[in-house]
Amino acid sequence: MKLRIAFIILILIIAFAISLIAGAKLINPFAADEVSREILFSIRAPRSIVAILMGMALGASGAVLQGILKNPLADPYILGISSGASLAAALGIMAGAAFLGTFTIPFMAFIGALATGIMVGLMGWQRGGLWPERILLAGVGLSFLFSAMLMLIMSISSDEGLRKAMLWIFGDLSMSEWPKVPYGLVFVAAGVFVSMIRAKALNALILGDEFAHSLGFSPRRERLILFISVGLLTAASVSLGGMIGFIGLLVPHIMRFFIGSDNRLLVPCSALGGGALLCIADVISKSVLPPMELPAGIVTAIIGSPYFLYLLRRKNVLSI
Amino acid sequence: MKPFYAESVAIKISVLLVTAYCLLLTPASADSPKRIISLAPNITEILFALGVDERIVGVSSFCDYPEAAKQKAKVGGFSNPSLEAVVSLKPDMVLLTYDGNPQAFEERLRSMKIRTVVIRARKISDLPAGIRQIGAAVGAGEKAELLAADIEKRLDVFKERDRISLSQAKPAKRQKVLFIIWPDPLIVAGHGTTTSEALALLGLENIAAKTSTAYPKYSIEEILRQAPDIIFIGKGNGMDEVADGLLRRLKTVPAVRNGKVFYVSDYLYRLGPRTMNGVDELAAHLKKP
Repeated sequence: MKLRIAFIILILIIAFAISLIAGAKLINPFAADEVSREILFSIRAPRSIVAILMGMALGASGAVLQGILKNPLADPYILGISSGASLAAALGIMAGAAFLGTFTIPFMAFIGALATGIMVGLMGWQRGGLWPERILLAGVGLSFLFSAMLMLIMSISSDEGLRKAMLWIFGDLSMSEWPKVPYGLVFVAAGVFVSMIRAKALNALILGDEFAHSLGFSPRRERLILFISVGLLTAASVSLGGMIGFIGLLVPHIMRFFIGSDNRLLVPCSALGGGALLCIADVISKSVLPPMELPAGIVTAIIGSPYFLYLLRRKNVLSI
Repeated sequence: MKPFYAESVAIKISVLLVTAYCLLLTPASADSPKRIISLAPNITEILFALGVDERIVGVSSFCDYPEAAKQKAKVGGFSNPSLEAVVSLKPDMVLLTYDGNPQAFEERLRSMKIRTVVIRARKISDLPAGIRQIGAAVGAGEKAELLAADIEKRLDVFKERDRISLSQAKPAKRQKVLFIIWPDPLIVAGHGTTTSEALALLGLENIAAKTSTAYPKYSIEEILRQAPDIIFIGKGNGMDEVADGLLRRLKTVPAVRNGKVFYVSDYLYRLGPRTMNGVDELAAHLKKP
């Protein structure tokens, strides 16, 4: 088991190294001219770190959410958080908001994501606790509502700029820069850390509320803490680089094949795996058709899905 | 060859004539359409320039120039016009562009016995022919001829300059340029766009000219590597703030270092009467020391 975890960490490190060296053009970090150095330090390094942070947030929050909702099909975007973020970003772009310079739109997305998370939490709240089915349905309902409102804005607006600006919502890491890193790091580290220290409670929750009670956990309290950390993680990831699918849903399942269902291992490994996958996917998206860039979300799904299906054929599906 | 002032006088006179014509409301000739719908902003601009705006009964929601175009009835978007809205206006001619309006839509109109005219112009060099085609269709041939000839003359100035520079023993080194349509995510003017063509006319080398799509999402790394001498940024909503963030990351590029970053209008995004103004605007920026 220790070997497997070490292996996952190694993959992440290798992914990061590759992402610095590879791209549209290979750069040898030890013999780089001025332009290459500039590319390495101010473009590739922050971009790769943002990709890793985003992948970590999605992987960890996917694992936690599948646990608290006891649903193998749960992923962070099902809570409607991403559609709320997109809607807020679109409204910000329409209003021409620029109070934080380049941070404005990501900030709007973050606020939209948090507001949606709070709404879902309030709707999922009944008799002094969060109910998994209610959370799920509230998320799906809000998701439809916000997506429809976004589509409405997009179809009645004749502003070409809005359409282009909305492109980043569909997963774009190209504008990652150093100032984004500490902000992402704070939220992602906090979210992953909280999820990890509450992983034992998550294990108990999956076995049922009564069982969790008998082990000394308050299911309502634990669900709330975990839900808040998922909300923060998802909000941070959407504002870092838009919506990138697949990772939140399938990376936790891939990790279950590897290290089993114990959330104390699953949550950190899903984070590591998600980070490595998105980092590699971003390198591929930059290198396929240079100097054009493909959206990273497409690449994660194209390389991730066949592997997931292969695992599904080879092994028995593990329960949550 | 007429002297230049005669040409401009001719244009002024024809503008007066058209105004008079509109005031007198002379009935148009028998076969020229009286209820025209334009489904593309550039076609609408050309119709206005030909002085037939009185006969336009509907435009697309993207037709926002000149100001009077906004007052016309809207029949839906560019790629999704409403068949019902078009038919209910009882047009006797609908003008479409090959470059964006749906072909199926044009076929539906024809099956309903509505006259359609499809403008195939895609490049600046096709523009005069496109204007003549529209002029012939709506019965404003003479005005169209003047407008087309004017554009041809302005184009010739640039082509002439190219011939001179090519005939020199050592042609001047072409400056590298990038035209940014949108900074975040980074969308640039690539292969086959009017903008890219304008850059070539000005003797510049568009570093994104080899892309496979017209408006690709471009790699920032590539800009640093290509080190363009000039960067143009097209007009857009909230553009300055976002562009500042991009330029900060491109600070080592010669264009940014030497203050050769210019914000320009959106004239080049449309193939119409204002396109050449866009070319002239870029040329004026190039003359700056």
